[in-house]
This record gives sequence, C-alpha cells and structure tokens, in this order.
Amino acid sequence: MISDVIVEDKERAFLFCNEAIVRGALESDVKVVAFYPGSPVSEILDTFFQISEKFGIKMEIATNEKVALEIVAGASMGGQRSLTAMKSVGLNVASDTFFSLGYTGINKGCVLVFADDPFCHSSQSEEDGRFFAENSYIPMLEPTDPVEAKAMVKKAFDLSEEYHTLILIRTTTRINHQSTIVPLEPLNRSDFKPQSFRSFNKKYSTVGVRARELKLEMLKRREKIRDEFENSEFNNVIEGTSKIGIITSGVSYNYVLEVKNKLKINPPILKLGTTYPLPEKLVQNFIKELKAVIIIEELSPYLERNVKTFAKDVNPELKIYGKQSDHFSEAFEYNVPIVYNALRDIFQIERGKDYNAILKNANQLKSILPTRIPVFCPGCPHRATFWAFQNAIGGKSSNIAFINDIGCYSMLLLNKEIYSKLHPDDLLLAMGATLGTGSGISLASEEKVISIIGDSTFFHAGLPGIVNICNNDENILVIILDNSVTAMTGQQPNPGTGYGPGNAPKNKIKIEEVLNGIGFNNIFINDCFDAKNAITSFKKAISQSGPTVIISRGPCALWNDRNKRKRGEKIQPYFVDQQICRKCHTCMRDFYCPAISMEDKETEYVDENGKEWRGFSSHISSELCDGCGVCSILCPYTNHEARSERDVIRILNKPREVRHDL
Amino acid sequence: MTYNIMTCGVGGQGLMLLSNIIGLACAENNLNIRTAETHGLAQRSGSIYTHIRIGDDAFSPLIPYGEADALLGMEAIETLRYIEFLKPNGIIILNNYIWHPVQSTYERVKNPQGKYLNIESIINKLNKYSNHLFLINALDIAIEAGNSLTTNVVLLGALIHTKDFPLSFNQLEETLPRVVPKSALDVNKKALFLGYKSIE
Repeated sequence: MISDVIVEDKERAFLFCNEAIVRGALESDVKVVAFYPGSPVSEILDTFFQISEKFGIKMEIATNEKVALEIVAGASMGGQRSLTAMKSVGLNVASDTFFSLGYTGINKGCVLVFADDPFCHSSQSEEDGRFFAENSYIPMLEPTDPVEAKAMVKKAFDLSEEYHTLILIRTTTRINHQSTIVPLEPLNRSDFKPQSFRSFNKKYSTVGVRARELKLEMLKRREKIRDEFENSEFNNVIEGTSKIGIITSGVSYNYVLEVKNKLKINPPILKLGTTYPLPEKLVQNFIKELKAVIIIEELSPYLERNVKTFAKDVNPELKIYGKQSDHFSEAFEYNVPIVYNALRDIFQIERGKDYNAILKNANQLKSILPTRIPVFCPGCPHRATFWAFQNAIGGKSSNIAFINDIGCYSMLLLNKEIYSKLHPDDLLLAMGATLGTGSGISLASEEKVISIIGDSTFFHAGLPGIVNICNNDENILVIILDNSVTAMTGQQPNPGTGYGPGNAPKNKIKIEEVLNGIGFNNIFINDCFDAKNAITSFKKAISQSGPTVIISRGPCALWNDRNKRKRGEKIQPYFVDQQICRKCHTCMRDFYCPAISMEDKETEYVDENGKEWRGFSSHISSELCDGCGVCSILCPYTNHEARSERDVIRILNKPREVRHDL
Repeated sequence: MTYNIMTCGVGGQGLMLLSNIIGLACAENNLNIRTAETHGLAQRSGSIYTHIRIGDDAFSPLIPYGEADALLGMEAIETLRYIEFLKPNGIIILNNYIWHPVQSTYERVKNPQGKYLNIESIINKLNKYSNHLFLINALDIAIEAGNSLTTNVVLLGALIHTKDFPLSFNQLEETLPRVVPKSALDVNKKALFLGYKSIE
C-alpha cells in the first residue's frame, strides 16, 4: 500500500516488491525517475506517479524505454540520483544507449531495474537479460525477494557513485509480483537543488579513439568491482555436510531453501546476489573441495557456464549438474516441485512426495473446465472497433494480411477462434513491428496489408515505421486504436493523454496532427462506439490505395470508469428485454462481450404478426455491463436512436454498483 | 509451521484486497507472510490467483502442489482450476457463484441446446478431492451486510473459522480501516462478521 511505502514511523511493512523497490529509492534520496510502463515492473511507475510530487522527485513517463534511460542517465550526469525500471524487452529498446553508457559511465547514482519474464506471463519472449550485463560490462545485482530488492536498490546507488557506472538490478516476474514484510529505514529526504552540469567538468562522449580508451578503463573498472563483489553482503554461503553443493540465485534460491528442508538434505549452498561481474574467487573457494555442484537458475545456463570455467583451475574433476546435464530446463519458470524432483534424483532419495501424481489427479478432475482466456473488458473500444472492421471486410478476409502488435489488442491472438476472419495470429513480433513488417509484406505479397497499432505503441515505436510508410508511398491501411492511455499495463498516461505524474497537465500530442505533418493525405477518424458508421468508414478506407490511416477512437473502459467514478457519474448498464428478444444471438455471436451470456431456460415471444420466436435469449449482467451500448446498436431488433419500449436491448434504470476497493 | 491459502477467482472480483487485508494483519501481529500474485494480462476477465503463505518456513512465493491448507474460491470454475494446490482433504471455501467465460457462450451460440457447465458438476469434482467443502452464499450475505460487492470480505470471514488459520477475527477486523474507505468500513465489518458466522 502507498501509505506504507512513504510511512516515516514504522520499522516494517507488508510491501509488494515493486513498492519495496520504490521505498529503497526513496530512502536513497532519488531525485529523478523516468519510465515507460511494462509488466512486471509497471507498479514501480504507478507508485512513483502518486508520490513523486510529495517528495520533490522529478518524474517523466517517457515515450519509450530508450528515452527513459536517456533521461535518467542525463539526470545523473547533471548531478542528480536517478532510477528507471523496464521489462526485459524494454531493455532491448533501450540497448543502443545502454551499451554506450557502459563506456561513458555516469556521475550521480543511476540505477536501472529490469525484469525478465520466464514463462512469458506478459511478454513476447523469454529472453535472459543477464547477458546484457556481461555484454555491456555494467554491474548487475539480483534479489531473491522484496527485502533484498530494497536493500539492493540502496546499495546500487552507492556502488554507482563509487564506480561512476550505471548499476543493473535484475528481477523476474516472480520476484516483482511477490509481497512480504520488509524492514524500513528512515527516508532522510533532502530538498531538490539544481546542480551545474558544467561545474562537474566530466566528459561522456564515446566514439573511435575515445571509445578505445574507455574500453580499457571499463575492463579495469570491472575487475575492481569484481574484487568488491568477492565480499558482498548479497552473496552468502550456507555451510553443509554433503560433498554435493548448490549454486543458485534469484527466486530459485527460495525454492532451494524449501526443498532442502523437505528432503532433509544438508548440502552447502552458495547464493549469488552479484551476478555480474561474478565473484570468481568466492565461487572457486566454494567448489574446490566438492565432488559435484548443482546449478539452479531459470532460463539460460548463465551461472552454469561460468562455474564450469571457474572450476577448470581449482577442481577440474568437479561434476556439474544443471541444464547441460538435463536435470533442469532452459524453458519456463521453476517451482518447488521442479527443484524437488531434480534434487531427489541427484541425491538419490527413494521415498518422497509424488507431485506428478497430484497434478495428474487434478488434471483428471479439471477435464470438464472451459478455458478462460483474457478478453476485452466490457465497454472496451477495441471490441467495437473489431466488430465494425470484421463487418467491413465481410467475406473478403482472404484478400487481406492483418498484422497485429503489442497492446490490449494483442489479445485478438488469444481469441483467434472468435476473431478467425482476421487471422490475428498470423504475425505479431514486437512494439511497433506491425508497420515495418507491413511494409515488407506489401512489397512481397499481393494481399492488402492492414497494420494495427495502439496509441501508446504508436508513440513508443511506431513513428519511424509510419514515416517509412508515407515516405515510400506503401499501399497499407494502418488502424490506430486510440484509447487515450497505455491501457494494457494499467492505464498510464502517454503523450496523447494530456496529463502526467501527479495528474499535472502535459502537452497533448494529437495523432492526426502528427500524421498531417508527416504528409498523410488519407486520414479517417472513427468514434468506435458509433459502430454502424464505423463500418462505412472502414469500407471506404480499405478501398483507398496508398498510405491510409484510420484512427479508431474511444477511451479505455477501465480508465473511463475510474474517471467517471471520480466525477461522481453513474454507469448505466443495459439489459435485454426477454419478453421481446427474438433469440437471434447476434449480440453473442458477433460481439463476445463478457457481460453477455445465454439464458439457461427457453422462452417464447409471439410478435404482432403472430410470428413465434422460441429459444434461449441473451442476458446482460448488470454488474459487468459498462453501458457502452454497442450491443444495442448491433441488435437487429433495437432502434438505438429511438430508445423506445419496443427495443430489445435498452438502458437499465439502475446504475451499476462499482467496487470501492479496486 | 506454515499456513498456506490459495485464493482464486476472475479478474475484477477483489482478490487483491483479500491478500492485502491478510498481509497487513500479519505485519501488525508479527507473523511472517509471503504472497505471489497475478498482475497484468490475466486481469482482463481472466483467471487470477494469489498464493498466501503465513509462517517462518515459507521460502517459495508459490505454494507447492498439494500443500494449501485452504482454497478460497470467489468463483467455481476458477476454484477447480487450482485444485492441485490444495492438500488432500484440505478446506475449500467456495462462493456459490459461477461466471461463464465468453468462450463458453461462444460454444453455446454454435449449439444453443448445449448447457453451460453448472456449479453442481464442479462441486461434484471438488468433493472427490476434499470432503471439507463449505459452500457460501456470499452474495446473499454481502447484500445482508449492505453492499453486494463485499463478497470477498464475506469469504474471508468464513476462512477465519477454518482449522489452524493463524489470524483471529479481531486481528483481521482491525486492519479493515486501512484498506477500505471510511464510508465503506461499517459494511465491510458487517460482511466480515456475517461471513465468520456463516459456517459456525
């Protein structure tokens, strides 16, 4: 809770890891922060969003991670402590600047928290970001839980200032999305004082001859830091009695501790918290008397390869168990059962828990369950957009190549059966990639290319691609889904929203003005909730040749609901009048709204011409309905404009109850 | 000793509030707690869960399969979905509520005579795993308490009664003012109390 992140008179609090990271930065007197949101670190941004003003912290929600990193690096060079956080694929975006910073170094403490996402909970790849550290010579710390995450943030600021280098803190989803009791220390905040960049008299340029000098300095810096890490409080050895030891880091350490108790084994354990540069001597001392060592780390065999190298000098006979011995996988997350099964095998323990049998039994019971895939929320503008778009293309979906991108609309892919006309699983790579790949497909193939992109993604990584499309006069229709915020990550504002941290007003960048400036001649703007007119507009746009953009505009439902609540406005749900519903199922067949389901009992309606309509009518949940009204537009038996008692889908005269705790 | 609670439901049901209340109560009463939560993509009317582990031996943020003392389900389908985390014969606190996913409605449109999965079939399966199932009409109780949206707090009240649950009614009640707005405090207190009474 925010109140515990900023509390002054408590010694401990129950904190979410991303909150603990913010607390660590507050206790370190951080002065400048910048972020682009991304799961699993979005809540670091969200927490600073609420408190930055109170603590005199300068905060920006940057257009992308590269800009965010540049902001905090520049702020550090300008004399202020600074921090950014991003997801692993965000560090890919920032990597150009990131590698140069390894060479130039920084001035005041500068910390980059980045989170890998084993199991791809909310990412497009399972990449292992630890190689960024090795490749950039930038030191890296890896916490095992929120307590250590906070301690590492504080240490990272000190190390950063001592060695004039950016410091990485690498987490994974299971670390970020964990809560526990965290010890608090005093905040000791100082007032913000502007510094003089010139007075520091430091140079941060790297190219050619200067880069070569810096490379040699960087190598020296690494060895100094390696010496320091040999004695770091974040590496610890648990003594043991067996000749088989364990080396681990991150969340896997927690699994090891739990399995050790369960199997009643007593191996020596080396937990590494400084994973670049690795403390070579510490590792060598740990392994030199062992017969075997087990390396437990998620994703790539990063520690494993390094330990193998370190063992050569001190214990060439050492047996190494890990991924290369097939005891652990390079894919997905670990958990207690995975570590338990591997250690039981290596330690040759016959009796034990059969976790696989538990799973097997459960899976048999669960065979009756339907899947529950994330879908667009009730009231989501994207549902309306894709209803209209599917109608506009009619049966001609084989003539188009539909290209997906990163955002809430990526969920089209998860629901590919429902949106089968669009083939939304054909192509989805990375933020903004819909535009470049769209250009490539239009060069290579005969289909009409439709590229979709959200407003935040457009500003984040879409600008170079859209300029390229216009510049090369590509025959592409770009649909910009403008819901006003960065919805997927928790509805943070973006350059098109008009406000920033602490809800302070910001210059609002209008997408159509950007496109006009670039030179687009074909620009259509749709109100996506005006769904019937949107069909006409889509049809017209599809028939254009040359670069064309449709901006499909309508606010994110979650964000809009929250704003309505703040303004004291009621949400008016719709209902289905079952007395006159014709049971045609249009509202369910084509719209896929979680608020609409089918009645279990059959009913009958006889209309004024004596025609009988028998079947299962639809039902709108008044708790879930957001009142967007699009289902009433697409109902063939409702005249949306007339709003009469003869309409099947009408507004319910009772406002929706809204959760107070969300 | 570690007391493990697996809570689950559908995005938007107020699961996060539950782990927050329990977490704050643990912090106030010097109990160790570790939780693992779902955030991000899974919130959109998707399946969500929280692992809650109270005690000094809980190192892993995730409950190992077959080790949850209690499974608290806000919704029936999602309760069965996480059944592997429950101890054999562990306690199930089940909200008498089923929320059909859009995918099921999509199937029914193709075949209207085909029925949705009903809650009885799910209870039948749950009973095969544990004979300690408590079915709570949380919505009715929440309405009695004064707000239909307090079903999560009703179920929390019921959980207090389960064997070995390490927090008392008073300890949980004392944390409510920190997590719910003043205007909703009395309703939530009543919901906690009525939930507590529901399985006496």
